[in-house]
Amino acid sequence: MAVAWIGNRETLVERACEQAAMLLQSSRCPVISFDTDIHGTRAAIALAERIGAAYDHVEGAAISRETALFTDKGAMTVAPGEVRRRADVVVIVGELPAVHHGFVAELADTVPDLSAKNAREFFLIGAEGAETSSFLGSRKATPLSCEGAGLSGTLAALRAQRAGRRVSKPVSNFDDFARVLSTAKFPAFLFSGHGADGLALEMLQGLIADINRKSRASALHLPASESGWGSVLASTWMTGFAPRTGFARGFPEFDPWRFDVERVLASGEADLHLRISAGSVLPAGDNGVKLIALAKTAEPVAGAEITIAIGEAGVDHAAVVYSGRTGTLAAVKAGRGSDLPSAAAVIRLIADKIPAEAALPC
Amino acid sequence: MLTKIAGGEIIDPVNGRLGKGDLWIRDEQIVEPPAGGDADRTIDASGCIVMAGAIDIHSHIGGGNVNTARLLLPEQHAAHMARPAATPLSNAGWSTFETGCLYAKMGFTTVVEPAMSPGAALHTHLELADIPIIDKATLAILGNDDFLLSMIRDDSSQQTIEDYVAWTVGSTRALGVKVINAGAAAAFKENVRTFALDDVVPSYGVSSRKIVKTLQAAVDRLGIPHPLHVHCNNLGAPGAADTAAATIAASEGVPLHLAHLQFYGYGTEGKRKFSSAAARLAELVNSTPQVTIDIGQVMFGQTVTISSDVMRQFSARGSASPKKTVIHDGDGNGGGIVPYRYRQDFYGTMQWAIGLELFLLIDDPWRVFFTTDHPNGAPFTAYPVLFELLMSRDARNEMASGGSNGAMALSTLSSIAREYTLEEIAIMTRAAPAKLLGLDDRGHMGSGALADIAIYRKSKDIAKMFGAAAFVFKNGDLVVKDGEITRYRWGRALRLNPQPDKAMVRRLREYHERRYGLSLDWFTFPDSAIAREQPFGEVACRS
Repeated sequence: MAVAWIGNRETLVERACEQAAMLLQSSRCPVISFDTDIHGTRAAIALAERIGAAYDHVEGAAISRETALFTDKGAMTVAPGEVRRRADVVVIVGELPAVHHGFVAELADTVPDLSAKNAREFFLIGAEGAETSSFLGSRKATPLSCEGAGLSGTLAALRAQRAGRRVSKPVSNFDDFARVLSTAKFPAFLFSGHGADGLALEMLQGLIADINRKSRASALHLPASESGWGSVLASTWMTGFAPRTGFARGFPEFDPWRFDVERVLASGEADLHLRISAGSVLPAGDNGVKLIALAKTAEPVAGAEITIAIGEAGVDHAAVVYSGRTGTLAAVKAGRGSDLPSAAAVIRLIADKIPAEAALPC
Repeated sequence: MLTKIAGGEIIDPVNGRLGKGDLWIRDEQIVEPPAGGDADRTIDASGCIVMAGAIDIHSHIGGGNVNTARLLLPEQHAAHMARPAATPLSNAGWSTFETGCLYAKMGFTTVVEPAMSPGAALHTHLELADIPIIDKATLAILGNDDFLLSMIRDDSSQQTIEDYVAWTVGSTRALGVKVINAGAAAAFKENVRTFALDDVVPSYGVSSRKIVKTLQAAVDRLGIPHPLHVHCNNLGAPGAADTAAATIAASEGVPLHLAHLQFYGYGTEGKRKFSSAAARLAELVNSTPQVTIDIGQVMFGQTVTISSDVMRQFSARGSASPKKTVIHDGDGNGGGIVPYRYRQDFYGTMQWAIGLELFLLIDDPWRVFFTTDHPNGAPFTAYPVLFELLMSRDARNEMASGGSNGAMALSTLSSIAREYTLEEIAIMTRAAPAKLLGLDDRGHMGSGALADIAIYRKSKDIAKMFGAAAFVFKNGDLVVKDGEITRYRWGRALRLNPQPDKAMVRRLREYHERRYGLSLDWFTFPDSAIAREQPFGEVACRS
């Protein structure tokens, strides 16, 4: 099976890496986007430093909203294991990514063994008209909605009502919510940047801070992208900053607007795009920017200058990934395994072709 | 390769070498002078002092809470001066890569991350593996986890508890065990807001004292070289000296290490109800030979406090500067991140003075360890200035003159004449930490020791001397010259490797599947996950 192409022509991986290195070296404004495991992220960031590139996650918009909650405001959070074992009230805030539906279903099927209540109640915020979600099975969830107010408006109204302030549009079922909260031992609010904007995330944290004045509550962060949050962690320990960081001036600079790779590509600021993802969505190579694609593919990516096939973390090769189920990094074995190289291995091969004083540190 | 370090002033208290002489290195080890041997390389150390590489026993350099602090404070990294890129990612402020370089430049070759949550061990070791040059180690946190609290509540046998502690240390690749405000994080989840040594964790009926004593006994009986590392209750509270005193008394002849004692050195005297209890605590330490302590010295300026003492950090939210915090209820401890600026006001000056009083009033340099509890009291980069304060009364008086006169009037610091000698500095920063951690191969420069060596050009400016080593060798590699990195290498994480009890593994497997709905495999990892050659170095337990 062919695993590398220059244009539409099959070639050796070694040759494709040489050509990729040449393009990256000669680029005046390279950008890297990735959706990869921890070691793929580490290698990509080390390469970005070497070539002066900016980098971002493929799902940068949602990840950036979650990052901003921490960089700008801070938060109260709880581990998923503690939610399963302790949360007697579960409040789902906005739409959650499908990857986390299994865990929510698990919460619906279990009771908190570390809570004296030994039972769980569910609420849905910002899901107008919905009493159940498919992933909750037969469990009923009480909707908390504020007609036309959207998620952040509903959270604001909920916070105001709880504080005894007047609101123009009351939240549906507020009395039920207030009654349950008054006896709850450890309510957990489930949130994601996938379904909540920055204002909603901030308002949610305000509500949790209010509750914690006299009792306990916290928020479970279920990232919009697990690989994205893993990349946030690796990027932060490597550079001090989350993705949307650039090395154009030789040192890392974090700027969520300037290094939004999607924006940079759309505006024509970049002249070369290295995209690293073993996901099913292949990049479009037709926006006028040269594309190097590291993808899980059996054929060249349309419009790409270079395509190199890579394996999928946890399927083709063992990997370290972020798990929303444990709230930390986990080692995963290869599934069926294959000869496809990991993203990290290919990135290192490319970096080896770029002259530097020292070997890549990752 | 045979290297001769010629003509330096050797300071090696362990081997009784104090004075001018040569030191020989063959490959990774220090060796006896070879008979008639010609060195492949000679380092001229005339005008320099030669010490073993320094060892930091308590510095928060990696793991979930440290990384969350980085995430919370991008403005602090951005404030770092941009420098030419000499080594990969070494110009990234407060990154793993920068951490290793900065430590090495000061002559440090081994650093212990003292608060690893067992559930986040993989994350912690991945960060540590990206810290270049130096060796690292971790202490695994126990004492707020349901499994242990349930065993204590149910009167499980001492052997069963030891099996659990051994499994935790082995599976997380730790060098020791730490307990942080024992029981308080579990109590906080049940809305308890203060927690003292004899308070009881709701739902378990287990006191903080009982948790500490249980873990202390397990660590001792397992032969873990480093005594139980204790972060006491009531950190930072006026009157916390009583808690520290009670914890020292509770050691009852068995080794115990108290972390960052400065943060407990607070009395309740004076109109502000905040005073120094350093003299009282120092006297207690002096008279309790089985107890060792580190200081957690405060230095003036901006920092960020990072602690798994989530109850304490929650209560400190109001003092955050800038006004943003992260409070995390984790499996077991969790953590709190609260940025803070130590000002030269009454409280800041009092904290600064209390730390120095403890350093100077505790007589035995083998039992008192320099730390700033990085970054809680100050960043580790403040160490050279701290050494100057310990070695120079004039330097102390000068810094005190910029602080609060009211605080200094209530402190004994200005009356203390003691100045640390270079030998005492070498004990406190090299020999004693190696002994405390069970690292026989370092902390001294005898034949057979690891060639971790720091060479400083002698200067009256002590902070400058210790801030930029003339030469540093790590495992015999010359890694620093004239304060700059000359070679990039990857150290190891030092770990114990007690063999797990099979019955305990079965029990933990069943526990995780039943309570968390997950296989135990989610909480363990193979060495290959670190993706570095030989990421770990094994240290033996005491027989």
